[in-house]
Amino acid sequence: MLATSLRDRLTRLGASPTAPRPRPARPLPRGFEEIPTPYGNALLREDVIPLPPLEPHPGNVAYLDTETTGLSGGSGTLVFAAAIARPIECGLRVAQLFLPQPGLEAAFLDVLRQELEASAAIATFNGASFDLPVLRTRWVMARMPGELTEAPHVDLLTLVRALYRHRLESCTLRMVEERVLGYERDDPIPSALVPDAYFSYLHAGSLDFLEAALEHNRLDVISLVHLHSRLLARLRGDEAGMDAADWLALGRHRFRRGARADGWRALRNATSFGQGEASATAGLLISRRLLRRGSVAAADRLLGWLESSAAEDMRVSIARARLLEWRRRDPHQALTIVEDAQRRMPDLAADLEHRRARLRRKVDSDRGRNRNRRGRGRVGQLREVQLEAPIADSPA
Amino acid sequence: MAGFPSFNPADFPGEITLDHVISEAKPNFAPLPPDLRPELVTALAGRGVERLYSHQADAYHAVRQGRHLVVVTPTASGKTLCYNLPVLQRLLEDPRRRALYLYPTKALAQDQLAELSALKHGLPIELRADTYDGDTPPGRRTAIREGGHVVMTNPDMLHAGLLPHHTRWRRLFSSLDFVVIDELHTYRGLFGSQVANVIRRLKRICAFYGSRPTFICASATIANPLVLAKRLLEEENVELVERNGAPRGERRLIFYNPPLVNREMGIRRSSMLEARRIAAPWIRTGSQTIVFCRSRLQVEVMLSYLRQDLAPRLDAHQRVRGYRAGYLPLHRREIEAGLRSGEITGVVSTNALELGIDIGSLQAAVLVGYPGTIASTWQQLGRAGRRSGSVGVFVASSSPLDQFIVRHPEYFLSADPEEGLIDPDNLLLLAGHLQAGLFELPFEDQERLGRADVQELLQVFEEDGSATRSAGRWFWSRQAFPAEEVHLRRILADNVVIIDTSHPRPQVIGEMDQFTAPVLLHEEAVYLHEGAQFHVDRLDWGEKKAYVRPVEVDYYTDALASVTVQVLDTFGGPECDGVSRSHGEIKITSLASMFKKIRFHTHENIGSGPIHLPEQTLHTTGYWVTVDEDLWRTLGRETLEAGLQGMAHALRHVASLRLMCDPRDLGSVAEVRSITTQLPTVTVYEVYPGGVGFSSRMYELHRELLDDSAALVRDCPCLAGCPSCVGPLHLVEGAKEACLRLLSATALPV
Repeated sequence: MLATSLRDRLTRLGASPTAPRPRPARPLPRGFEEIPTPYGNALLREDVIPLPPLEPHPGNVAYLDTETTGLSGGSGTLVFAAAIARPIECGLRVAQLFLPQPGLEAAFLDVLRQELEASAAIATFNGASFDLPVLRTRWVMARMPGELTEAPHVDLLTLVRALYRHRLESCTLRMVEERVLGYERDDPIPSALVPDAYFSYLHAGSLDFLEAALEHNRLDVISLVHLHSRLLARLRGDEAGMDAADWLALGRHRFRRGARADGWRALRNATSFGQGEASATAGLLISRRLLRRGSVAAADRLLGWLESSAAEDMRVSIARARLLEWRRRDPHQALTIVEDAQRRMPDLAADLEHRRARLRRKVDSDRGRNRNRRGRGRVGQLREVQLEAPIADSPA
Repeated sequence: MAGFPSFNPADFPGEITLDHVISEAKPNFAPLPPDLRPELVTALAGRGVERLYSHQADAYHAVRQGRHLVVVTPTASGKTLCYNLPVLQRLLEDPRRRALYLYPTKALAQDQLAELSALKHGLPIELRADTYDGDTPPGRRTAIREGGHVVMTNPDMLHAGLLPHHTRWRRLFSSLDFVVIDELHTYRGLFGSQVANVIRRLKRICAFYGSRPTFICASATIANPLVLAKRLLEEENVELVERNGAPRGERRLIFYNPPLVNREMGIRRSSMLEARRIAAPWIRTGSQTIVFCRSRLQVEVMLSYLRQDLAPRLDAHQRVRGYRAGYLPLHRREIEAGLRSGEITGVVSTNALELGIDIGSLQAAVLVGYPGTIASTWQQLGRAGRRSGSVGVFVASSSPLDQFIVRHPEYFLSADPEEGLIDPDNLLLLAGHLQAGLFELPFEDQERLGRADVQELLQVFEEDGSATRSAGRWFWSRQAFPAEEVHLRRILADNVVIIDTSHPRPQVIGEMDQFTAPVLLHEEAVYLHEGAQFHVDRLDWGEKKAYVRPVEVDYYTDALASVTVQVLDTFGGPECDGVSRSHGEIKITSLASMFKKIRFHTHENIGSGPIHLPEQTLHTTGYWVTVDEDLWRTLGRETLEAGLQGMAHALRHVASLRLMCDPRDLGSVAEVRSITTQLPTVTVYEVYPGGVGFSSRMYELHRELLDDSAALVRDCPCLAGCPSCVGPLHLVEGAKEACLRLLSATALPV
């Protein structure tokens, strides 16, 4: 009959043993002040830092970044810090909220809502799938009334993925800072250690890592302001030194967002580089759109021009041959294109062989009925002439 | 009896221990409840339902009165309507309300979805019912969370998917009126104890969102459905509906014990081959027959046997089909359709079908081996029997459980000796679920997890850094996701996995707890699995993997382990009169040092080898009996030891019958002189650390367990003890005799 403590029994049954720890004293991190709310006091620190003129200027946007106790989500993952950056007249106002212990979450969220209310929109980096859902969960958990925010939200990660992915190995904020903003941050703490920084504060009251995590949070949100301006410039097509791949990415993004005129312009710019895969891809996208609206002759001209400028792109030759075969009903011409392409790209010639053989058969069997076919072709051309006018200024 | 598929005992060399005709039962109807919505009445009429069976009506009324409910129903008695009816009624009254259905398996949820969909199809409003499990495509998940009226899932998904992310399920939890728990009897032992804790967490979440659901449980026949339901739900206001109103056809029930081929070893003719001889003529003559096997492998073998027997027919493959867990729903639907049209006359299945999946009604069921519990035996036999003139045959294997059941049909037919037991307060389980619960919602001061007082545990967590106290509440404070660390169906994470390497793609054929593995899975061991021999080629202790391949050898291996039992705390006993029984907390250490290879029949020692594995320690609960000093003096040490070993073996097996657990959930040790009692002692302990409530029940069932053990050994036709009664250690003259004397002497006078 051994009297044993609960801890001993747990250990005996195979639970992991840990040495007991005393409840720590927890000093406040530097610069935070208590802000009263109906739910108790929240901890806030504010700072206004100089902001170089932004061109373009995003306007009254709140940039938000949170630090959490885990990445897996779920109702036990806390938001222990949030930074909100807002451009104001005299610079950039950076507000930081800190949750000194889990029970004070309602006050934290209340001040966060006030901070966000001051702006017309919210911008985050990956907020659509991380920060905002986690905050919504916290909102429910703290039994807060209403909603945290209903302001429009832009996720800068989505834009980075659309506009810069072709230039980046990964789309982390660190990578974006380095390669898009051209600045290398001396990060006080790697992201992966941030949750531990909070727990070592909670469990042992240690400030060193926590201060680093809060600084990390502050730097993140400042980067977002500059990144947003940079993305706006890119979206406008105002950036110097954009290459065909950049224009192609922009064009695709514009089309996805339904801005067809802008998309059209961007693809045309990409095409006009006249060399390289991206340029050819953009040209192919344009020609597909031309064909969709019946502008066969314009598409044919564009593809012809692409073929002469980007002679090593099999996709262009195939598109052209297909157009000639099926839209123009001109197997002769299509066959010439295919055979030319096979000569230019002997390595890939085998891929075209099936097409070539079919065209050959068509051409041979077509000989007898030559006249009829030509007649029909003429009707087709007549129809096209009226439709190609709107895009007369094609890059070719 | 002309309607029965013919079975002539004279055709079979074994023993018919039961040939019993269960008479037909007339249906007992009740009118549709007067308050039933007219839309629902119409939808029911569309499915040919104009009135209810009495138990369906009883269930409806109990739920409408706001009581929790447990319905005990045999197979094919229309149990799903018992819960679908009140749930649909409520949803028609207020489509904003919600229901959560829990099934033990994904496949079962799929099948019940089809059932519910057919019924709600006739309703004028759009009710959304979906399964939600690991197979649910991500694209549909949001829609289910937001709009699903009935969400059908399993306890594992609720535990690791829904509860930790409850804010996403706010719509469901804040409007939850019903929680349906089907197949209640499967929630027993370790799994049940885990699920009881999941339900505690579910109720916390519901309380957070202000809902208080009614629980509706459905169970197969067991001795204590109401007790189990009350313990699982931790509710007192639970009504039991057990009067079955569904009709039942007349049916014949046969227990068949294949003939002994080796009397000494207790080995009988293969139950597979005997089952084949029984089933094949029926399938050939067109009596629709289902054969239940114990493993996937057996299913495949039986399939090929039966197809060979039909071989001259070109459509043998079409007429006999396999059906087991893992088949796609479409495939299963095809088999079900084939059965209805009569195109298929034979189905070979694992127990996937046992859990209430509807494939209509067949004329004959053949059970190869005992399914483990009386409840599932009835469920399998119930596959044949809705129409009159069906027959069910149980073909016993040589295992102790099979032999006990086949030789004691009265045990089987008597009223429900099996009980579902759980202990949600097992410290280790409670601690795991408390962490998961803490992640889900902070704990208030003095808050309990269900009925368990957890304040002291929370303090331990705080000291460990898993919890932080703040503003009078406890918060989870680690980065880990605690629900991921608790597996509802596994004993411990570090079980040894048994891998059969003889297939082109190695297959996992089983698992064994780390405590037992050194004795049975050491290298060069001959491991018996589902009645087949496997040689252990390699045991990777670090990776917890045993690599085996099937063999047929004429010897078995016997590992020598020095086992000591130390009693840490006694909860009950001892009672004297020369014998005693006790139960309590114990510590068992086991060190396997060497093994012997022993030839069948002659028992010569044909080889041995060392075992190099670490000593194992297990803290758990156990029940132990000691033997009168006078008695053991008269037996002599060697005979006494053999008798004790036999007693330990028999006790463990009969206990697993009563407690509805796998024999592998229990372990037993025989000691000639225990360090605690200083007497010859037999201890039966729980394999799960800390136990899940079996030990205290064994203590209470002491008399029955000893009686059943005595019956098992006494009625075994072997000469001096065999693996079917006293276990593999029978080298000593008079072991059986000694075992019986010990058993009769240890039984307390009642």
